Amino acid sequence: MIRFDTVNKYFGDFHVLKNINLEINKGEVVVVIGPSGSGKSTMLRCINRLETITDGELTVNDLKVNDKKTDINQLRRNIGMVFQHFYLYPHKTVLENITTAPMKVLKQSKEEAEKVARYYLEKVGIPEKADSYPSQLSGGQQQRVAIARGLAMKPEIMLFDEPTSALDPEMIGEVLDVMKALAKEGMTMVVVTHEMGFAREVADRIIFMDHGQILEQGKPADFYANPKEERARLFLSRILNH
Amino acid sequence: MLDFSILINNLDTYLEGFKNTVLASIIALIGSFIIGVIVAVMRIAPIKPLNWIGSAYVEFIRNIPLLIIAFFFYIGLPSIGVTLSGFVAGTIALAIYTASFIAEAIRAGIQAVPKGQMEAARSSGLTYLQAMRIIILPQAIKIVIPPIGNQFINLVKNSAILGMIAGLDLMYFGDLVSSHTFVTFPVYIFVAMFYLVLTIPLSLGVGYLEKRLARSH
Repeated sequence: MIRFDTVNKYFGDFHVLKNINLEINKGEVVVVIGPSGSGKSTMLRCINRLETITDGELTVNDLKVNDKKTDINQLRRNIGMVFQHFYLYPHKTVLENITTAPMKVLKQSKEEAEKVARYYLEKVGIPEKADSYPSQLSGGQQQRVAIARGLAMKPEIMLFDEPTSALDPEMIGEVLDVMKALAKEGMTMVVVTHEMGFAREVADRIIFMDHGQILEQGKPADFYANPKEERARLFLSRILNH
Repeated sequence: MLDFSILINNLDTYLEGFKNTVLASIIALIGSFIIGVIVAVMRIAPIKPLNWIGSAYVEFIRNIPLLIIAFFFYIGLPSIGVTLSGFVAGTIALAIYTASFIAEAIRAGIQAVPKGQMEAARSSGLTYLQAMRIIILPQAIKIVIPPIGNQFINLVKNSAILGMIAGLDLMYFGDLVSSHTFVTFPVYIFVAMFYLVLTIPLSLGVGYLEKRLARSH
């Protein structure tokens, strides 16, 4: 479904992604971990072309993401994205945040879009916040709205860029619960996170990145029990023993 | 002591000028806002040639005196066969001139909106222009209301330029009253009062808008 074929990316002289080869299948939940600055987020952001790649080939559903002929808006409507800092639209209510793209991109009627929006608000557990503004919500609630906003486009793929890193500790659980439920329903998910518990429980595959390379990947149980790479071992010991 | 008989005896003349100043200001205000938004978006759009055109517009127009721009439309264009009345030429000049300042204010406002807003909007499948119109500009407008308010007040005052090119505005009729009555300074005091009738409510309106928008998140 998502395929990186020897993808490289430079920011000026800085080589952020080095020969990335990766294939993600439909329904798979892939968790990307690694030290900060390792290129995890950049790799994720390449998938919906928030970042462009320098060379190699990246395809989503056999569509070349960086091809000029590819209708990027067409591609993006099929890929939901959740950001570390939520990025809800502050001038719109929760309901409007969710209905904007379905109405403008999928041309849904207002009634239809609101029905869908309420369904997903119910699903993320905050139906009563439909008419609130983002600033009236807690961080965890905002992130759940952001997930509902992504889901309302009925995407095949959801990308999560450190979705819990900006949250107070007591709010992380509510967001992870929503993500777990989503994973169990068979959504294709790529998640950049430091939540090792989530990775262990939900991921089909863990990818460990460092210095722009994929150093190791495997099933969570194997990876945690016996990381092969020295750097992965070091990273895990730092993150798990504190 | 101010001689109010000048005002009373020439009230029709003053009011005619006042009416045209209001009209020119309103047209130029709407025009400059629309051009300003377009130029601002051109300056920051991810398309290089548009950036250049936008920058050229701003740098060229805002660094030329308004009077010369007005002269261009009033006495320059006839040489290529386009004749505009003083009112039309002056109003266009006002709109084009003020737009360069409004474009700069709006550009600063757009760039003050967090980058993630555009990313969130684009990643949901909205086009660049949709994201701009629906997500970015409404947030930018709140930030730019105070500087744009200043520009609008300047615009009303700058409309006095119409008086120089037979634009039939307050200033023009002020000159007329002065030359008929041989009274100079008091005539212009009344002219100034008419401008204040326009600019003070505008000033208060901008202040009110600023407070109201600040309240709505």
